[in-house]
Amino acid sequence: MLPLLSTWRAVWQQHKNRISPGERQTMKDQQWNTLLSVIRGETIRPLPTAFIIDSPWLPNWAGHTILDYFTDERLFLKDNLKAISTFPETIFLPGFWSEYGMCTEPSAFGSVSMWGEDEFPFAKKVLRSPSEVDRLEKPDVRKHGLLPFVIKRLQHLQPEIEQAGHKIRFAVARGPLNIATFLMGTSEFLEAIKTEPEQMHRLLTLITDFLVDWISCQREVFPTIDGILMLDDIVGFISRRDFEKFGLPYLQRTFSADVSVKFFHNDAPCKASAPLLASAGINLLNFGVQHTLAEMKTWTNNQITLLGNIPPRDVLAEGTPDDVVRSVTEILGAVEDKSRLIISCGGGMPPRASTENIKALISTVEKLTGGVHANEFHPVSDFEHA
Amino acid sequence: MHDLSALRKAVIEGEVAASINAARQALDRGIAPLDLVSQGVSPAMAEVGSLFEEGEYFVPELLMSARATKEIFQIIRPLLAASGAEPAGHVVLGTVQGDLHDIGKNLVAAMLEGGGFEVTDLGVDVAPEVFVEAVRKKPVQIVGLSALLTTTMPAMKKTIEAFREAGIRERVKIIVGGAPVTKTFAESIGADGYSENAAASVDLARRLATA
Repeated sequence: MLPLLSTWRAVWQQHKNRISPGERQTMKDQQWNTLLSVIRGETIRPLPTAFIIDSPWLPNWAGHTILDYFTDERLFLKDNLKAISTFPETIFLPGFWSEYGMCTEPSAFGSVSMWGEDEFPFAKKVLRSPSEVDRLEKPDVRKHGLLPFVIKRLQHLQPEIEQAGHKIRFAVARGPLNIATFLMGTSEFLEAIKTEPEQMHRLLTLITDFLVDWISCQREVFPTIDGILMLDDIVGFISRRDFEKFGLPYLQRTFSADVSVKFFHNDAPCKASAPLLASAGINLLNFGVQHTLAEMKTWTNNQITLLGNIPPRDVLAEGTPDDVVRSVTEILGAVEDKSRLIISCGGGMPPRASTENIKALISTVEKLTGGVHANEFHPVSDFEHA
Repeated sequence: MHDLSALRKAVIEGEVAASINAARQALDRGIAPLDLVSQGVSPAMAEVGSLFEEGEYFVPELLMSARATKEIFQIIRPLLAASGAEPAGHVVLGTVQGDLHDIGKNLVAAMLEGGGFEVTDLGVDVAPEVFVEAVRKKPVQIVGLSALLTTTMPAMKKTIEAFREAGIRERVKIIVGGAPVTKTFAESIGADGYSENAAASVDLARRLATA
């Protein structure tokens, strides 16, 4: 069907050859500006690609365990720089993400962090029932849990990060609903919004107060921050009515800071919440594979830049480079309006995604969207005539 | 057919107290516990499953209906046992070793109970030998394995291998599910069935229990 799909290597090589060493060194600033341009609604040719990279993918890709990545800041820096130099044309978000997986924010509330040598850390719940919410206190973001470790890691590495031409651009946090589920259990929290709504509002208010402090702290320590990344898949589990009550008001507060990029990640279904996300100030969204780019453009009224949505596991991790080329071709061909669009996977970079597959994605997007006018874009034929 | 519309309505709407009341009233009217399940709880949970699949219901609604069902079964389980009524089948469920997520497993457990199955929930982070031991202890037709993480999916394969090594693989049907799990993966590890969501697990379990 697509006889030249297997030529992605040649395409990649051609693409790489067009980028001068100088451009590679300064790519980070260029990429930030590209991101801002796309968010403003400018159509960029070729379309940019970007990926959320963090602990689920980066350590194993770089050849060591997840726990080593979390505990060795030299390795953290080396891995991030390796990713950036291996894929100089793409944007990594949030970029130099100092984190301890899902444990970061819950740890500040007293949650026990559980670690395995090569497993994602897990935050143990601290609330046995909704009635225990009142005993929680707002954490001190400069002293509690793993938060000072997040800040210190970045501070220790900041000279080298900046020397390499990069800046710390994003304040990052799990979202209020996501943190609530770690503090009391997912089933328990989602039941409690029905049975104990007032208690859950108290919990979410406390978490949101904390998040506002936490984001503010990150911005104070790193004045180069001009974006917020908030991750909250739990938004995808609730109805529009519940999102209006238990999600939106809290997201509005967490995204209230004056920054250029308000980036939200939810790779659970988001049909119910999508139409309301712009009213939380969100202008960049990474979503899952349950919906198409065209559907998301409609539901968000094209107000939000979409970051998606090649299937992360089935294609980017488990597929071949040809599968990736096919998937990118299909996805690009299915969306007419290519404004406010950044090609990525539907979620964070999945574990076991190979260098070859990532390069296949980047080069295919470059090939299919570089130098053609949006209205003349015929992905399959364009690619076959390469 | 008995009039169990109040009970069905209460379960569908996730009204726990109203569900308990409706179940008690139905029993007081002399309705057999088995009829209460087959004509009340099961069709109500089937409707809840349909509403979920259609995007009308979300996880909290599913959880509330599941909770209502659980409360009803607290009342009628002893009566069912005393009457000698047989469940639709026995299912052992758990989240596989290394994985601490429970929401998918809990939803499947609730849907299966609502569908008339007896469910033994082994919890989260369940070692392969614990699944094997649970099947040795009682007559179980189906074992359900849940995983939310791609890193814990290999534990599903290990669990199935543990059944083979114990010589009891043929005694049970093994079904798998969870956010990262696909039909292709299920087939590749030798599972007997895969369910895309909690609601669909009831039909799958029924098919396998009678196979």
